[in-house]
Amino acid sequence: MLPEKEVKQTVPLESSQSKDKGKKPVRMFQPQKKKPKVKSDNQNFTGYMFISPFLIGLFALTLFPILYSLYLSFTDYDLMGTPNWIGMDNYVRMFTNDPTFWTSMKVTFFYAGVAVPFRLVFALLVALALNKIVEMAGLYRTLLYLPSVVGGSIAIAIMWRQLFGNEGAINSILAGLGLPTHPWLGDPDTAIWTLIILYGWQFGSSMLIFLAGLRNIPKTYYEASSVDGASPLRQFFIITLPLLTPVILFNTIMQVIQGFMAFTPSFVVTNGGPVNSTLLYVLYMYERAFEYFDMGYASAMAWVMLIIIAIFTALIFKSSEHWVHYEGDSK
Amino acid sequence: MKKKSLWLAFLLSIGLILILGACSGDSEEASGESDNKKEEDGVTTLRMTWWGSQSRHDQTQEIIKKFEEENPDIKIEPEFTGFDGYFEKMAASAAGNNLPDIMQQNFGEYLNQYADKELLADLTPFVEDGTIDVEGVSDTVMESGVKDGKILGIPTGTNALTAFYNKDMLSEAGIEDLDGEWTWEDYEEISTKIHEATGTFGARLMEPKNLFEYYLREQGYKLFNEDGTDLGYEDDQLLVDYFTRNKELVEAEVAPGYDTIQTIKGVEDELIVRGEAAFDFRWSNQATALDSAAGDKQIEMTLLPGENNDTGMYLKPAMLWSVSENSEHKEEAARFIDFFTNNIEVYKIAGSDRGVPIKEEIRNELSSELNDTDKKVYEYIELVTENSSPIDSNFPPQATEVLAALEEVDEMVIYGQLTPEEGAEMFREKATSILGR
Repeated sequence: MLPEKEVKQTVPLESSQSKDKGKKPVRMFQPQKKKPKVKSDNQNFTGYMFISPFLIGLFALTLFPILYSLYLSFTDYDLMGTPNWIGMDNYVRMFTNDPTFWTSMKVTFFYAGVAVPFRLVFALLVALALNKIVEMAGLYRTLLYLPSVVGGSIAIAIMWRQLFGNEGAINSILAGLGLPTHPWLGDPDTAIWTLIILYGWQFGSSMLIFLAGLRNIPKTYYEASSVDGASPLRQFFIITLPLLTPVILFNTIMQVIQGFMAFTPSFVVTNGGPVNSTLLYVLYMYERAFEYFDMGYASAMAWVMLIIIAIFTALIFKSSEHWVHYEGDSK
Repeated sequence: MKKKSLWLAFLLSIGLILILGACSGDSEEASGESDNKKEEDGVTTLRMTWWGSQSRHDQTQEIIKKFEEENPDIKIEPEFTGFDGYFEKMAASAAGNNLPDIMQQNFGEYLNQYADKELLADLTPFVEDGTIDVEGVSDTVMESGVKDGKILGIPTGTNALTAFYNKDMLSEAGIEDLDGEWTWEDYEEISTKIHEATGTFGARLMEPKNLFEYYLREQGYKLFNEDGTDLGYEDDQLLVDYFTRNKELVEAEVAPGYDTIQTIKGVEDELIVRGEAAFDFRWSNQATALDSAAGDKQIEMTLLPGENNDTGMYLKPAMLWSVSENSEHKEEAARFIDFFTNNIEVYKIAGSDRGVPIKEEIRNELSSELNDTDKKVYEYIELVTENSSPIDSNFPPQATEVLAALEEVDEMVIYGQLTPEEGAEMFREKATSILGR
């Protein structure tokens, strides 16, 4: 009996090994003598045990709230009472009877539409510059990354409010230079721009990813092209940019998502004002949920934003076939 | 195989959630037990929340310390923030059925909302059995904490809208002292004169949140109708007039626009404190904060303008103390409220920061040792008591949103994006749609 079993076992083993290692004579010594199936189940179990903290987090803290908010979006939940099912009412009201919703939508699209490209271009330029620096690259990299480390924080937003305040640093500098000062945060036309600049300034993480992408482009391409007499500018457009497109794709998607979900800057710097000119979507959602106790409506808003982001991400992915170049692609 | 492992993962995590749930349930019971044990030792822990400025935080903690000294069986855990975010935080606590035992509550739409959701305990039994002693407090004051026949809050003190003014700036412009008999036209004229004489602003911009309601009351209208289902005035011209007056003052640079108002960082940073405006309309309990920040400027208080300002003016509870329905120690919480209402030490520490004491004995007893600011406030409240009409309490739960819409429209009018007529129309549209939901 025993030898037979052994033979049975060795067959799958052999084949599985042959896939990656070729035919090496490992058969001589067999470490696994028990049923491999049980073993693998055990292994799986141990594995799941190890990742259970993550799984619990995923189910209890992410998946459940997401689905619950979907349910709430069809109710009139006001945080304190019990939710009553009201069907599509929240969605209908949003699209037909809430001008502030459309204001916040416009503000958010403008914000994301300007701030995201601004940050990406800025990050790429800085990454290109850093790529050239040889001495003390680490120091510069750290310094330039710093705004992003503290960037999401309230502290920076408060500093921004001081900088652009009527008696803030920017106006002091302007006055010192004899230029006219301006109520940056008090003027509905300029307030949103202070937030856009704040977003652009926190370019660190995109910059690091760009930098990593740049380091991955083989030097030989540049050498070869300079032998052929290509100018640095031409090199940038025919070598750097095409080879960087996968990284650009990644950064664009991440930043678009972040741009649509921005909250802290408008909450802290302007609180949506003046005249709702900086009322970002998520801030309005927060107001609905916690100031007007309109949690059902806010949940519906969250789902609308999810759909918008999903559409944008899908569009970017779809379009990537036409502009993203993967090395080794025959195209 | 893949499906199977997914299932396994799913079941596993469900199981773990259940286990965790069971664990937390256990610990809750355990903590409940320890609470009971504590009670056996004779110490009950209460949670208490309030909003306010730093000086209120310090004073209230001192009051708590005093209370704990006299009541060694109760320990109070304070939680405090500024007004911004306070009710957001409370809403989240209410959703988790976790409101504090004692909470500082606000009159009007807030109290009505909490009453509507039955989140606050009825304090009637405690008032009846004398745990909370409110003997001699006037009915109009007590009524402000009553909703649907239940006492849901005990006023911390009385408050009234006040026209604060800088007397020095008035005399600089050659204007005699005010006596509370003045019209809106007088107000405009005086502000303009001050602006011309001093070069600073004559008045702070009036923000509509409380002042438009006063403006309506002064002319015999209310902001909301009796059952809170619609606006309480028919003629949009009222709001048009209100907008127009403010707009004219801003355009003449007698009052600042919102670009200036937005940069003010708090009461201590107000224009009147810095000597950059002569008038400021706000609540009387902010006198202490204004006075102490204003240094040696002579800040006085008088009634708001208007021919019929005695119908417009009203006494309001500065705040209310409420006990949450989910509290397990309602009686202990009631004892703290009693302490706050009846112990003179409280007012020696806090002055009129939470309004003028509701009990006459305390007011009388204190009158000899009041500082100048508090004396002014006490006198002012007396003046208002004689020249006022009962407060309106018909605020619907959506009032917060309606007032936010009013502020938004007001901003648009002052910024010149809308004419006063368009603004008044837009506000009615918004308010009707909010109230009609």
